[in-house]
Amino acid sequence: MFKRLRLGLAKGWLHFVLLPLALLWISPMIWIVLTSLKTRVEVFDTTAGLLPKIAQWSNYPAALSVAPFGRYLINSVLVTGGIISAQLITITLAAYAFARLRFPCKNLIFGLFLMQVMFPIYAIFLTNFVTIRELGLMNSLWALMVPFVASGYGTFMLRQAFRQVPAELADAAKLDGCGHFSTLWHVYLPLVKPTLIAFAIISVVTHWNDYMWPLLVTNSESVRTLPIGLGLLAKADSGADWTRLMAATVVVVSPLLVFFVIFQRRFVDSFMHAGIK
Amino acid sequence: MRIDSDRLRDIPTAFAMLLPSLIFLAMFTYWPILRSIWFSFHDVMLGSPDIFFLGLENYTRLLGDGLFWRSFANTAFYTLLTIPLSIICALLLAVALDTRLRGMAFYRSAFFYPVIIPSVAAGMVWVFLYAPGYGPINELMALLGLPKLEWLYDSKWAMPAIIVMSIWKYSGYFMLILLAALQLVPRDLYEAARLDGVPPVQQLLHITIPMIAPTLYFVIIIGVLHSYQIFDYVYVMTQGGPADATNVLTFYIYQNAFQFQDIGYASAVANILLLFVMGLVALVAVTLGRRIHYLGQ
Repeated sequence: MFKRLRLGLAKGWLHFVLLPLALLWISPMIWIVLTSLKTRVEVFDTTAGLLPKIAQWSNYPAALSVAPFGRYLINSVLVTGGIISAQLITITLAAYAFARLRFPCKNLIFGLFLMQVMFPIYAIFLTNFVTIRELGLMNSLWALMVPFVASGYGTFMLRQAFRQVPAELADAAKLDGCGHFSTLWHVYLPLVKPTLIAFAIISVVTHWNDYMWPLLVTNSESVRTLPIGLGLLAKADSGADWTRLMAATVVVVSPLLVFFVIFQRRFVDSFMHAGIK
Repeated sequence: MRIDSDRLRDIPTAFAMLLPSLIFLAMFTYWPILRSIWFSFHDVMLGSPDIFFLGLENYTRLLGDGLFWRSFANTAFYTLLTIPLSIICALLLAVALDTRLRGMAFYRSAFFYPVIIPSVAAGMVWVFLYAPGYGPINELMALLGLPKLEWLYDSKWAMPAIIVMSIWKYSGYFMLILLAALQLVPRDLYEAARLDGVPPVQQLLHITIPMIAPTLYFVIIIGVLHSYQIFDYVYVMTQGGPADATNVLTFYIYQNAFQFQDIGYASAVANILLLFVMGLVALVAVTLGRRIHYLGQ
């Protein structure tokens, strides 16, 4: 009992370090929300205290009316949805081939897939920009999606998961007259659902938040996504109208944060185990 | 015989399954890399059909370009500080949370949520937090009796300010991955060490770190690849300023390509950046990868 008590005290001590640290980590988010409810005068008045005197909810409609945020939201959903749907198809097919089929130069080709992980869009945006221009895709939603259709990382994750599926199951399906595609659909995919979800969450977070690439290939309201819209507003408002800008930030940040709060376990598991297996 | 023909029959299926991925990888990963090498030996202007062979001229120009060296040094400074600092921070948080104390879910979320905030939103908020006149960070400094700083407007403090923000943004991600690894370390190792009177710091150095070495190695590689994202922060927070104190290679490529339209020169810079990142990854693989193999035996 004494041991448990001592252990409890030792752990309790951790809270004194962790709690302030956690609050420090959350403080930028609290700051965003508080500022979004202040008046412009309060923002620049350092003696006004942390809390807004009267919550200015009108900052929200004001923020949403300066730019077509509804359009941005639809574009973000279309682009992210398009990327993840296409990725799920390409990585499922490729991962199955790597996990279960025999073909020449397998390791070499797998290496080529993994190479993509080393060359994110930040490293090769320049030539991809030229390619997109030549294809005549500039300023279209396609331009935001096509560079991300294939995923070396996703293929890798899913191949690992497919390899865990017992070969006997696949053999049984084969004896029942299933071809590769129906084995893949009826046997493999249902068994690797957790991996598919983990990859989907990571991919959605990445592409929903993407900033650099959409910034380069879009130049009209009709194809801009939420982060780009927020960036434009920031250019106009930062240092001038923080209240409106922070209200817009809350709107842009909240879809993923709300999902995160609801599906916390899933999110955490996805990011936790993405690197391990 | 039948088995052999079965295997041969796999080949067309396999390539049919790989084809969708390979087409897109070829167009948007392999081709751009090859083309960027080709561009760097030519005079290519954005939107102009005329291309002239220059040989090594773009590269010799690089050597004498002070701004290139400046942005190279800034990139190295950022990468070499941000990665170790955020991994140390992540490791300490992970070790603290691995004790399964109460409120675990709260702490985990508190440290992780910056990861899922868009980089543009994060950058912007920190511009506000760092604001010299009315920003809360300076208010806090004043409260603690420290001198107020100009932060993003001061060429000495702008890069450290971005590094601090990056630590806030990424530590939670590394923490989660490390936490997953920590949970696989057998508890009786700690129990035995505790009975032998090994102090906690020694336990961390001699049990925890060796046991999770492969994951640490993985996290370092992820960190190197994530450090590319500094473009977003520089673009949103400083535009490379003040006085190019935060100009980094990705941003310098962007400037050359889209402000000066010089695709050839920008490609040369891009190739140097690729070599730098590949060099870092190789260095990590050779130094740490080998140690881990040794520990695993």
